[in-house]
Amino acid sequence: MRPEEKNVLQKQIDEYMKLHPGIKIIQLYKETEEMRSGYIVAAIGGQGPDLIYGPSDQVGPFADMEIIKPLENVFSKDYLSHFNDKALITYKGHLWQLADKLGNHLTLVYNKDLVPVPPKTDKELIEIGKKLTKDVNGDGRIDQYGLVWNYTEPYFFIPFLTGFGGWVLDSADTPTLNTPAMVNALNFIADLRDKYKIIPGEADYDIADVLFKEGKAGMIINGDWSWSSYGNAGINYGISILPLITETGKYATPMVAPKGYSINKNADEKKLSEIKDLLKFLMSPEKQLETALEVKTFPSRKELYTNPKLTSDEIFINSKNQIDHGIALPIVTEMRAIWDAMRPAYQAVLGGAITPQEAAKQMQQDAVKKIKELREDYVDPVGRTIVFVIFFLAVIALLFFTRRSLAAFFKNFKRNSFAYYLLLPAMIIMIAVIMYPFIYNIILSVSNMSLAHINDWSIVGFYQYAKVFAEPQFYEFFLKTIIWTGTNIVFHVVLGVTLALLINRSLPGSGIFRTLLILPWAIPQYIVALTWRGMFNYEYGAINLIIVKFLSMSPVEWLKSPVEAFMAVIITNIWLGFPFMMIIALGALQSIPKELYEAADIDGAKWYQKLRSITIPLIKPVMIPAITLGVIWTFNNINVVWLVSNAGEPSDKTHILVSFVYKAAFNLYRYGYAAAFSVVIFLILLAFGLTFLRRTKATESIY
Amino acid sequence: MNRKKLIADILTYIFLILFTLIALYPVINVFTISIRPNDRLLSTSLSIIPDNATFRQYFELFTNRPFLLWVWNSTIVSFVVTVTGVALASTAGYALSRFQFTGKQFSMLGLLTTQMFPATMLLLPMYIMLIKLGLINSYLGIIIVYSATALPFCVWQMKGYYDTIPLSLEESARIDGCSRWQAFYKIIFPLAAPALVITALFSFMTAWSEYIVAAQVLQDTSLYTLPLGLKSFQSNLTTEWGLYAAAALIVSIPVVILFIVLSKWLVSGLTLGSVKG
Repeated sequence: MRPEEKNVLQKQIDEYMKLHPGIKIIQLYKETEEMRSGYIVAAIGGQGPDLIYGPSDQVGPFADMEIIKPLENVFSKDYLSHFNDKALITYKGHLWQLADKLGNHLTLVYNKDLVPVPPKTDKELIEIGKKLTKDVNGDGRIDQYGLVWNYTEPYFFIPFLTGFGGWVLDSADTPTLNTPAMVNALNFIADLRDKYKIIPGEADYDIADVLFKEGKAGMIINGDWSWSSYGNAGINYGISILPLITETGKYATPMVAPKGYSINKNADEKKLSEIKDLLKFLMSPEKQLETALEVKTFPSRKELYTNPKLTSDEIFINSKNQIDHGIALPIVTEMRAIWDAMRPAYQAVLGGAITPQEAAKQMQQDAVKKIKELREDYVDPVGRTIVFVIFFLAVIALLFFTRRSLAAFFKNFKRNSFAYYLLLPAMIIMIAVIMYPFIYNIILSVSNMSLAHINDWSIVGFYQYAKVFAEPQFYEFFLKTIIWTGTNIVFHVVLGVTLALLINRSLPGSGIFRTLLILPWAIPQYIVALTWRGMFNYEYGAINLIIVKFLSMSPVEWLKSPVEAFMAVIITNIWLGFPFMMIIALGALQSIPKELYEAADIDGAKWYQKLRSITIPLIKPVMIPAITLGVIWTFNNINVVWLVSNAGEPSDKTHILVSFVYKAAFNLYRYGYAAAFSVVIFLILLAFGLTFLRRTKATESIY
Repeated sequence: MNRKKLIADILTYIFLILFTLIALYPVINVFTISIRPNDRLLSTSLSIIPDNATFRQYFELFTNRPFLLWVWNSTIVSFVVTVTGVALASTAGYALSRFQFTGKQFSMLGLLTTQMFPATMLLLPMYIMLIKLGLINSYLGIIIVYSATALPFCVWQMKGYYDTIPLSLEESARIDGCSRWQAFYKIIFPLAAPALVITALFSFMTAWSEYIVAAQVLQDTSLYTLPLGLKSFQSNLTTEWGLYAAAALIVSIPVVILFIVLSKWLVSGLTLGSVKG
């Protein structure tokens, strides 16, 4: 939801509250994917908002999990007949969502100053594109493109798939990705880039957006959410339906996603009539018209389609045109698996790693596999007994091996009581917060909790663990995680300690350096991580500029190939993490008595001798805990990998174990599997922790 | 000798300046985004001051958005977590450094193990637990969770620092008639100032920047902390980058100020040198 949409909705809610004193409505906004996972957690926990608003494809998972109410008995048939058919979201024979907007449809947006008449066919598109793609300022680099768009993302590729006569699913929700249409569409995109050269070599959403906003692109394929921002950026833009593909005689057809309201299954029955009343208010023709006029969205009430206020609006007409030439976004949960299966193979074609034929085949196989995983329904009553027996034996073994310590604990309690009292408050908080989630997770890891068993999961034994180790990618990403963690920590520590030593020399100005150097730690990670992603851009990024201008090397395709993308992620995280180690090292250096250095100077020791025999041994007690925890945190640091690689791009190669489990398990609601995966990660780190601490003797005192 | 020192000084400055530039460049980029009109995250130009630069976003942040409320909320939460972190970590760390008792190794490892589980997996059970305890939509809930997040590092770090302080100090204090508690808080606690600074900074930062738990637990917009507020500028494909960048820069200012204030104790270099023998 765009900010303007939020504001209009808030205005309408305020109006409703004024009309109905005593009713309080809170609008809580979250970004789509975040809202979904947050809502699922809340709804499973028996809570959550009464109404949930969003694109229609969330209906599939929500209905499968039974966390929203069927609506066919809430609203009368007569009331529902006022709505566009596309706005009534049904699934498995029930109505689950009532949409107030139709949208998210991609269209061709063109810069009227560069493209006076928009192309009607792909041939015209290429022709116009060729004319516009050129080097305007004469520096030998192309700086104006005919067409730009986020073509690396499957959603933005769908119009061409449909244009060549393909689609993603058949009526039985089986993927239909391995088709000649897919191959032709993939070839078409590759040709636009390599043969006709009318699109940039690398374009994600933000790059495409900025090129169009800066007037450096004649056309962009983008959705209804973006149009007003082009006007604000001073672009004289028009919109037009996507072109006809001459080969098939079909229009390039985007997906259309209605957006609307569902009711939480946890919503109080007594509140239901009020909820219904509010919905009818927000869905009334007047309110829908108000919204449509203010934020240029497309209403779902049929009576508005003839309203002169709308039919006189060029944007509305073209938008309606494109919606009529649109296919409804499938709402089945299978769609998540399809997107996840399309992305890697699609990007591999663009990266030149595989042929379109291979990609089509791979997409199909992946999609079938992922759907099987998504719908997995495993029950094993024997597994339960095995788990209980093993658990029972483990408790007995634990008691047996710790019997001496337990006895000593009670015997010496009084003598040690001062230490226990000092420790107690911290321990209470830790146990209170961690114990329950920890045990819950262990139990989940031996369960079958997944889309098929969200509310009625049972213990099935070590099935999920077997699946974790049977996953070939587990080993690949385990190795990557080790490289990731090792490289990061080495750089963090070496840079951190070096900088701390230099700052600690207390030269004039060292206070300023000290303060400036902690900035990477102080600034919110999200935006700098994305800034780094921009800096790694092939054409416009600062890093390639430095490489080309100052090091006279050829530019690097950072984000397009797996090895470079992984390096980019690591570099970003090194930058983010060194200040923290520097602060720790700075603190640690204070514990070293100056006399030691003075004595060493008298003995004529060289700087590296002092470093080796005084500094390093004496900062060790403080650095070891920081390094240990640094390894653990880095191992599980999903954020930076996710943001810089845009969730694992290219082709889902840039992953570490946690980002992989998030994408392959958590996103497909395989909670049992994800829990088992997490326990495996936990055990790996536990093994590391025990070995590392034993070897560095960090739990023992040095005096 | 003097020439040697001069060369060392010059090399130090070169290295520091180089790294400061590297540390600053992306931050400057964020500043550029914050003054660039029309919410553009990227640009094809590398100039620091964009065309039509505007400070409108900063103005918007303070006048039309509840930014100051978020700052206030985050300050309260972070302050309480910092105090809790310092109080609990300084005592627990002391116990682990100075005493031999049954369960010591177990406690230390136990603290570490709490950090080993991927955090996303703990969200659902943690949420269910907080519902059962009635701590949803309250600061108490997230303060407890944040303290638990920050404590393992803080305790270990304090323990490591206490380890570098000689035992003889407490022994002489005890001979002079101090109780065990007095020996700790009168003699050792002040000497551990650099470690306390790190503990305070870390606890503060944990609470100041945490998003995932807060997003699940705080549902009333008037309770929003800064990371939640910033996130509300963001939506699928249409983020208010200008505001986000401006807010991100302002958000880091208190952290930097806290660091500057606490630096006095972090780098004084006087704490231990004079008493160690």
